[in-house]
Amino acid sequence: MRRSTAAVVGTLTGAALIVGVRLSVTPPAAPVAGSQVDLAGNNGTPAPKPSSKKPSASPSASKTSGSKKENEADDAAKSGLKDGVYKGKGAANVYGTIQVSIKVEDGKITAADATYPVTGDSARINPPAIEALKEETLQAQSADVAAISGATYTSGSYTESLQAALDAAKA
Amino acid sequence: MGTAVSIELVDDRPEAELRDLIGEVCGWLHEVDERFSTYKPDSEVMRFGRGELSTADCSADLRHVLQACADLWRDTDGYFDAYAAGPLDPSGYVKGWSVEVASARLLAAGSTSHYINAGGDIRMRGSHPEGGPWRVGIRHPWESEKLSWVLALHDGAIATSGTYERGDHVINPRTRKPARGLKSVTLVGPDLAIADAYATAALAMGEGALTWLAKLAEAGYQSAVVTDDGRAFSSGKLPAAV
Repeated sequence: MRRSTAAVVGTLTGAALIVGVRLSVTPPAAPVAGSQVDLAGNNGTPAPKPSSKKPSASPSASKTSGSKKENEADDAAKSGLKDGVYKGKGAANVYGTIQVSIKVEDGKITAADATYPVTGDSARINPPAIEALKEETLQAQSADVAAISGATYTSGSYTESLQAALDAAKA
Repeated sequence: MGTAVSIELVDDRPEAELRDLIGEVCGWLHEVDERFSTYKPDSEVMRFGRGELSTADCSADLRHVLQACADLWRDTDGYFDAYAAGPLDPSGYVKGWSVEVASARLLAAGSTSHYINAGGDIRMRGSHPEGGPWRVGIRHPWESEKLSWVLALHDGAIATSGTYERGDHVINPRTRKPARGLKSVTLVGPDLAIADAYATAALAMGEGALTWLAKLAEAGYQSAVVTDDGRAFSSGKLPAAV
C-alpha cells in the first residue's frame, strides 16, 4: 500500500509558506527519496533541512531485504524509526517558530525536546503547552500523533513539526 | 497565524500520480492563501473589504464564501461573525472550506481514501492504510498527553475549538468579551467548514451552546464538549471508538 504524506505550513492567514512533500511506501520502511520544496522559507521560518537525509542507503537496503533484515532490526522494524537524533523543520505560528527534536534508540522515541520563542507573550504562553505536548510525544509515538483534533496555534504547529521529525527518522 | 496542513493518501497507484495529486492540493491551498488571506493587502478578500470590488466582480468562490458566512451568521444567532473584529475576515470559514474542496478534488481524481489535517481540523474519507476507519483522538483540554475521546469514522469531518490554546482570546462577538463556560468544543459532521464554524460559535456562546448543539445533532452534526469546570458532554450518536 502506498501512502503519501505532505505538509503545507502557513496558509490562509500566515505569511510564511513552506511546502514539504515526502512520499513513502509502507510496510516496512522502503523510503522513496523525499523532496523538500521551499517556496518562501523566509519570514523567520528556517528552511527545512532534515538532518537524516540519506536516501542512498535505505532504498537499496530495503529492496534487497528478504530474510536477513528481520532479525537484525526487530525493534526498528516495528516502529520504522532508526536510531539517532532528528530535528523537525521549524513550524511557525503566531507566537514564533517552534522546532521539535526527537531521539530514537532501539526504534523507540526516548526523548523529545522543543525550542520555542522566549520573548514577550511567547515566554508565557508557549512553555506549558510544549511541556505538556512533550509527554504526549513520548507516550503516543508516531501513529497516534497524526490524527488528533484539537485547538490550533501552538499545538498545531507542534504536531506538524513533530511529524517532520518522525518523517526524518523513517528515512 | 499559520496553519499546518498534512495530507495522507492511501492508494496503490504509482508514486508519480500520488505526487501529482499532493501537488495539486498544495497548489490549491496556496491559491486560496493568495486570494483569501487577510494578511495580503492585494488579496481578493482585502480588495472586496475595502470596497474596490463589487459583489458582481467577485469570483464565484468569494461569492460562495460570503454567502456561507452570512448563512452561518444567521444559523449561529450571530455567534459566528466574519466581521467580529471589524473588517471582513472570513478565515474561520475559508480554512475548512478550502480543505473540503481539496478533499472533493482528490475524490474526483480517484483518491477514495485519504485524510487532510489542517491544524487539528480533519477531513477524512475511506479507510486507514491498515484497514478500518480513521481513528481520531480529541485532545484533553488540561492534560494534553491524554485524549478526551477517540472517534472512528470513514467519511466526515472533525473540528475542535478550544480556549486552552489561546487562553481567553476567543471573543464572544455579541458582547465583545472573552468567551466563558466552555473549554473545548468538537463537532463531527459531513462538512469541515461548517463543523469548524459551529465549534467556534459554540465556544463563543458558552454553556448555553449545549441546547443548541443538541439541535445540531439532529441535523447531522454530533458534538463533544468539555466545560470550564471539567464536565464532559457528548451527543448520542458521536462515533466514539472506545
